[in-house]
Amino acid sequence: MLTLNVNGQVVTIEASSDVSLLWVLREHLGLTGTKYGCGAGMCGACTVHIDGVANFACQIMAADAANTTITTIEGLSEDGTHPLQLAWIEEQTPQCGYCQSGQIMRAAALIADNPKPTREEIIDGMSANICRCGSYPRIVRAIERAVKEDHHG
Amino acid sequence: MDKNFDASRRKFILGSSAVAFAVLATGAVTVLRNDPAKSRETIEPETLRSIKVDAWVSIDSNNVVTIHFPSTEMGQGIMTSQPMIFAEELDADWSKVIARQIDQGPLETFGNPHTGGILFTAGSSSIEGYFTKLRMAGANVRRILLYTAATVMGVPVTDLVTEKSEVIHPRSGQRLTYAAIANAGSMVTNVPAITEADLKPREEWRIIGRDQNRLDIPAKTLGETVYSIDVRVADMVYATQALAPVEGETPLQIEDGEARRIKGIIDILPLKNSVAVVATTFEAAIEARNKLQITWSQTSPFRGVNSQQELADTELAAKDLNLTATAWENRGNAVAALHADAENVVYATYTTEHVYHAQMEPLCAVANVDEDEKGAEVWLGTQSQTLSIGAAAQALQTTPDRIRFHAMQMGGAFGRRTFFARDLLVDAIHISRAVKRPVKLMWTREDDVKNGWLRPATAHHLSATLDKEGRVKAMRHRVASPSIFEFAAPQRWANAKGRDLLVMEGTESSEYDIPDFLAEHVLLKRQSRVSAWRGIGWGINCYARECFIDELALKAGQNPLDFRRRLLQNSPRSLKLLDEVTQMSDFGNAPNGRAHGLAFAGYKSTLGAGVAEVSRDPNTGKVKVHKFWAAVDPGIVIHPHNYIAQTEGGIIFGLSGLMRERVSFVNGEIEQQNFYDYEVMRIGDVPQIKVNIVESGEAPSGAGEIGVPMTGGAVANAFRALTGEHLRHMPFG
Ligand code: FES
Ligand code: FES
Repeated sequence: MLTLNVNGQVVTIEASSDVSLLWVLREHLGLTGTKYGCGAGMCGACTVHIDGVANFACQIMAADAANTTITTIEGLSEDGTHPLQLAWIEEQTPQCGYCQSGQIMRAAALIADNPKPTREEIIDGMSANICRCGSYPRIVRAIERAVKEDHHG
Repeated sequence: MDKNFDASRRKFILGSSAVAFAVLATGAVTVLRNDPAKSRETIEPETLRSIKVDAWVSIDSNNVVTIHFPSTEMGQGIMTSQPMIFAEELDADWSKVIARQIDQGPLETFGNPHTGGILFTAGSSSIEGYFTKLRMAGANVRRILLYTAATVMGVPVTDLVTEKSEVIHPRSGQRLTYAAIANAGSMVTNVPAITEADLKPREEWRIIGRDQNRLDIPAKTLGETVYSIDVRVADMVYATQALAPVEGETPLQIEDGEARRIKGIIDILPLKNSVAVVATTFEAAIEARNKLQITWSQTSPFRGVNSQQELADTELAAKDLNLTATAWENRGNAVAALHADAENVVYATYTTEHVYHAQMEPLCAVANVDEDEKGAEVWLGTQSQTLSIGAAAQALQTTPDRIRFHAMQMGGAFGRRTFFARDLLVDAIHISRAVKRPVKLMWTREDDVKNGWLRPATAHHLSATLDKEGRVKAMRHRVASPSIFEFAAPQRWANAKGRDLLVMEGTESSEYDIPDFLAEHVLLKRQSRVSAWRGIGWGINCYARECFIDELALKAGQNPLDFRRRLLQNSPRSLKLLDEVTQMSDFGNAPNGRAHGLAFAGYKSTLGAGVAEVSRDPNTGKVKVHKFWAAVDPGIVIHPHNYIAQTEGGIIFGLSGLMRERVSFVNGEIEQQNFYDYEVMRIGDVPQIKVNIVESGEAPSGAGEIGVPMTGGAVANAFRALTGEHLRHMPFG
């Protein structure tokens, strides 16, 4: 038995102790917004927040995430209006979309930590996440837009 | 919080008082309506099929227009651009349009005329193939609504106009929504047939050519899009495969005692080229797979193949002019012209290594075989519903109508999901049949890499002669490569007379004014699984040719721009692109320590020109790309900002491929595993990119590939201009 706090809900699941958080989220809890891309900490498709910090869900044992607060893309905002989600639409960033939950989660942790990142800091902060479709220019623009709009209130 | 996948959402739903229009290939229209006595009725796709029609569009009582689109969404935005075309002629209110994927035929209605009439999303053919078909269908439905409205209002149809899902009688101010017309009673369907002359003139377009928001994007910001890997159905179990280390080997002996003891294991099954492990959880399946001891056969002819050897042999084959080759494009007599001027022939050879698609979503199939084992429900992200349904039907020795198919959105494809169903989906079906439950068969990234269908190694031997003014008199582009077509579509290859469009397209150089020209294919035996890769033949054929054109310019003592201008003198569209891209980039005036390189490279009827600005990376000594400018002319552009996004994505894909992407194999086994040894471009390496569309008004063509073909030549030419070093082998990094 494993108890986790995910998106503000406490859930108890039946899973072996050495299963990664990624498969618990996706297959046990049905939170399929968090994606599997590599299982090796190389692509960032599985990025979630653990106590507010961006982490690769594929690199963390679910058991080690007990007693933390986990946020996935499904819990990033109540109604899909996190400034980054809105900016992602404004800039028409996603293509296939498969990497984008991870991109948004990584960017959300980045701007929570550093509300006014420079372009270089954005690029540096986002380098853990791959987008094979090549939406990178629009990821940068969307983050810059979200940061700017947030500041103007 | 368990969001079990709701299969019913994909059914064809007619709300109360809704009407659906099935427009047949002949132009005849069938109107389907639900029974008004029932408040809500669902018409199953099977029902529609049984009356031999399927509907392009339905309109519900809230005037919401649901348009069914035939191509599959893999990131290219087709889920928006195809409905835009239909909605334009229907004169629909775009803000109330919903797009729904078509899961299967009938092919007479929904097949793509540019892909042999089947449902097949590849080669940037979805817009060029469906443009007229969608317009005609939309216009047909609009005409029925108009005629019906005329009856309801009691006015001549010629007095009516349409706007935003309403029919309007301007003289009286009367208006009827499409929903109200649908509600009015019987529809007038014996209307004059639509011809192309009835279609809206371009000046009246309100939807096409405007930057509509993509319909798929909101869900993609919420993590709500369901890809095949996300499908979850009741009672589903998980399967993973221990796949043969070398193509064609079969499991001879399986020690699975330890694996079977793992909690949750349901079965361990030998399949033709793998051993499948089925479990109640994915992690249990993987754990058990790791404990299997399998003895594989050792008889595969691929046991002896090595990529480095293949590359060396391929290069020799391209250079050996005595080897037989199949002519792909032949104008004048290039062989004779080159022979006549033998001592002045300029030549060079370019090679490219194997690359892998690296689509972000590893391959996955979900199948649920019926109890009688003669049918199945299937969920798959595929570039071809038709081929996938065919593969599933064949696996069960049944007919395609017994396959209930769900075409899922794809986490990228790039050519990987064209013909793959014959392996992955077929295995999923065998497993589901054996365990009598729905099965999700997932490949890990490592499985995906090690069993990749690669763009094969190629070599390009180019030779040419120049006249006294430095004009290209004759040119020969000789490609050595295995056939992709032969592996991908063996039945079609049998009738192709050795002409492989997947390898050879892009060698034609048809915009160039070269009197004697030959492109030919030295056909080699494949050494790996092969497939098309974004850009298809154009990607690498244009790379080799554009490097060679620069070498010829150098020989002629001309700058690469003027040299190309002369070659393109008969192609005003191409000259415009050269002008545009040189202006955008201020071509030739790179800052200190950098240089510009130019490539003219199209994709089918799309024309494009690109300029790269590069330097030499002081740390690695390799080329570094700082900026990339592209001018493209795809004819009519349906969806401008998406067109630009696709071109940007294609440029990044091309640059990624030419920097570090490389698959190698030893004794038939691919050496790479995952993103740590197969490196695709990350955000920090992306140059500044600017794409301008120069629209000619020609018939619309594709968006997905055009970014790729211009990258190789532009980057290599820039690096040569800077350093004098030729980058004749891809990848460059
Ligand atoms: S799936 Fe976790 S980093 Fe790729
Ligand atoms: S949008 Fe396809 S991988 Fe990023």
